[in-house]
Amino acid sequence: MYQSFIGLEIHIHLLTRTKAFCGCTAEFGAPPNTHVCPVCLGYPGVLPAVNEEAMKMSYMVAKALNCELSPKCYFDRKNYFYPDMTKNYQISQFHDPVGRNGYFDVEVDGEIKRVRIHDVHLEEDAGKMIHSGRTSLLDYNRAGTSLLEIVTEPDLVTGKDAEAFIREFRRMVRHLGVCDGNMEEGSLRCDANVSINLKGQGLGTKTEVKNLNSARFVRKALEYEIKRQGRVLGKGEKVIQETRLWDSDNNVTASMRTKEKAHDYRYFPEPDMPPFCPDDAFMSEVVSRVVELPLVKKQRYLNGLQLSVDAAEFLVEDRLFCDLFEETCALGGDAKQISNWLCGDVQGQLKRAEVALTDSHITAARLNELVKLVDSGVLQRGKAKEVLELVIAEDKDPSAVVREKGFEQVQDDSQLDGWVSEAIDKNPQAVEQILAGNTKTISFLVGQVMRFSKGKADPKKVTDKLSQALGL
Amino acid sequence: MTLLKSWDRVLADVQSRTEYQNYVTAWESKIRSMLTFDLNRDRFGAQDGPLANIPFAVKDNIAVRDFNLTCGSRILENLVSPYTATAVERLQAAGARVVGKTNLDEFGMGSSTDNSALAQTNNPWNVNAVPGGSSGGSAAAVAAGLVPFALGSDTGGSVRQPAAFCGCFGLKPTYGTVSRFGLVAYASSLEVIGVLSRGVDTLETVYDIIAGRDDRDQSSVARPQNSPARGTARVGILRQIAELSPAIDAAYRETIEKVKSLGVEIVEIDIPALEYVVPAYYTIATAEASANLARYTGIRYGHRTSDDSSMEQMVAASRNEGFGDEVKLRILLGTYVLRSGFQDQYYIRAQKIRTAIRNGFDAAFGQVDLMLTPVFPTQAFLRGEGELTPFQQKLADKFTAAANLAGIPALTVPIGVTDGLPTAMQLLAPDFAEHRMFDFARRMGVDMAAMTPDGFDEGWRK
Repeated sequence: MYQSFIGLEIHIHLLTRTKAFCGCTAEFGAPPNTHVCPVCLGYPGVLPAVNEEAMKMSYMVAKALNCELSPKCYFDRKNYFYPDMTKNYQISQFHDPVGRNGYFDVEVDGEIKRVRIHDVHLEEDAGKMIHSGRTSLLDYNRAGTSLLEIVTEPDLVTGKDAEAFIREFRRMVRHLGVCDGNMEEGSLRCDANVSINLKGQGLGTKTEVKNLNSARFVRKALEYEIKRQGRVLGKGEKVIQETRLWDSDNNVTASMRTKEKAHDYRYFPEPDMPPFCPDDAFMSEVVSRVVELPLVKKQRYLNGLQLSVDAAEFLVEDRLFCDLFEETCALGGDAKQISNWLCGDVQGQLKRAEVALTDSHITAARLNELVKLVDSGVLQRGKAKEVLELVIAEDKDPSAVVREKGFEQVQDDSQLDGWVSEAIDKNPQAVEQILAGNTKTISFLVGQVMRFSKGKADPKKVTDKLSQALGL
Repeated sequence: MTLLKSWDRVLADVQSRTEYQNYVTAWESKIRSMLTFDLNRDRFGAQDGPLANIPFAVKDNIAVRDFNLTCGSRILENLVSPYTATAVERLQAAGARVVGKTNLDEFGMGSSTDNSALAQTNNPWNVNAVPGGSSGGSAAAVAAGLVPFALGSDTGGSVRQPAAFCGCFGLKPTYGTVSRFGLVAYASSLEVIGVLSRGVDTLETVYDIIAGRDDRDQSSVARPQNSPARGTARVGILRQIAELSPAIDAAYRETIEKVKSLGVEIVEIDIPALEYVVPAYYTIATAEASANLARYTGIRYGHRTSDDSSMEQMVAASRNEGFGDEVKLRILLGTYVLRSGFQDQYYIRAQKIRTAIRNGFDAAFGQVDLMLTPVFPTQAFLRGEGELTPFQQKLADKFTAAANLAGIPALTVPIGVTDGLPTAMQLLAPDFAEHRMFDFARRMGVDMAAMTPDGFDEGWRK
């Protein structure tokens, strides 16, 4: 009977080398207050200077989200006091953001849902405050790093929709290379606005849910919150507009005590920075860096290349796997076969060796070679795993490993024929059984040949030769 | 001997340094223009260059590494700057040496320098008179001959008005031509670093060194390749000028006659929007100030209260203890005009007025090469009875603040001395036409030798 409306506010940390408005490194994990300078500490007299790479990444995301891109975007000051803010105003964008009026397609249960994007804007992050007892400690390493905020329209309906959105969005920013998408570490953060109402009555009174540091929590928190609001309305009460925190230990949302009432941020144009006007070179770089998005890629893999759903899903999860896959295919291999290698043995070996694909020494050329070695019968499928392991461990070409290890299968007919005759001659009983109709015993003879060849014969070829010799 | 040449030996040896120190000490006991005077602290000046070994002073809201950066405020009383402003760096690279940090109205807010929380600066011409403000320390130091030039900052007249009060030249450059990096922000969209000196040539030399695009200030601009023509054939005056003091009124009329006698045509100009200069200026300036001054909380630097009963209380009490009344007034005003629902009425309306003023000047400079106006309706005022109230002082910013709203350059030119205090007039020019003003000021032939307060002496450095 109720209809639910969900809108998301997503913040991503852009992978820029330096902070948004100063030259400090944006790297994480350094000792507190070591990546700071007069600018990001808000010393008197300093001025911000916008990071062009941050602007490029912002325009890339806006473009990928099909937004109208601003030909002239402005920065604004958002005023509020908090100790983790060095200036007590945040440089943000309010009136003229990088992009607005976009949309993003998400697949939920095989159906494409189109979610409208309200706007995409660049702002600076605050520092970190660590409370301990009566004292609070401040670390400003994060202060001034580039944060991109993406605000959706309330077009999502269920917790499941929202989870799918977050997953697809995370995949997208990772493919673009603008964010590592790590929700646990906070490089991708999501707040959700949710309201319910009787069908046809439009948006209800919304609550904002925070502390959602995984896609699963986004779904669970929203499912909880939609039920909770339903119970409130069911009792004839009103939903209170408030901020609620997701408590993942108890699987509930709880009202966050808010000291201030509605904030008045007193936005006004940032006088220290002129409007940013992207030129042609800037825009063409942005366009060239917006690669094929994961959802489109997945459709192409499924429909164009006939990959299995699992293989396609696996590949588009990681841009590097996609790249390796496509490069290997381009060398002429069979797409399906290559995809099976990647999501099977390659993935498994990397996991076991705890090596990232980038550090694995696996290249398209080597993968192609490995597939060809097996295909042509030179390398036994069973041995291929071992070869792959050595490629990863020793940075060698598969052919070199095969040569060194003596893994080549014997292809020479006269040698094979010799072993086949020897096996028949030495095992008259087995031959008798076979000729009597017990054809399974042929595997015993195959085993004998393999022993003679020290495992280098191609079992399939040996079987064929035995059958022929015995007139089966 | 040119002004700068007469200064290049003062830091040369112990004897000349001692004489310099003695001259400054004698004056400072009367005028207290500087919060710091130290001949040895600047270790960053280049060994040679057009300003080699020339001392200069810097308003204490402009950052110079290893020097205090108090902004005339209790809240920054103990702050030592970890970095140097671009304008100062450029002068150091040309060989000049910072020897002093000058007093000012707290954060540049005022017209008398009496709003400094740290010292009272007196006018070298009459110690009972204010030096003007907010760059009052820079003006007093230059007028007393303590430095050949000083840097100031001009948000609504803060270089030009004290220059007028103390009898020296004061340049407010075109907005953006001098980097604001290192200038402690009061009203970012209005202010610019300026220069005060007793000589036009020195002003010009210094301006040419400090001007230019700076990547650390993205609102800074390069001067155009083709600079505006330097000649002046027509000078505009405002049709309606009222409420000038008799001395300023007389100086104004005298100057107009002088200009005519140079064969320059005087043209009357109407810029109706100028009527709203003061409200528009105070709306924009205070709005920006309310954000610019939010960073002073005592958490990372500056005054911190002993009251740490809570985070909020610590910030509120530090600010309450650290800021003076005028600063609090302007922060409150700025917060008020930016409230949501009130922006149309105040901030946005002020921006419209600002545009109208700019358009008015653009039209005027279609007809004339320069404009001539008073700087301030009165000479330097005396403390005590007859002093201008803070409100009267704000109303009197109309001639100077117009240039800040329009972003155009302006120059204070000393005219003479009446009743023991200097009089001065203001030239205004289109964007980037600073040199036109310098040339015209030279044509006006001010007799600076006659513009010296009692106790002024150049003999010690010859």
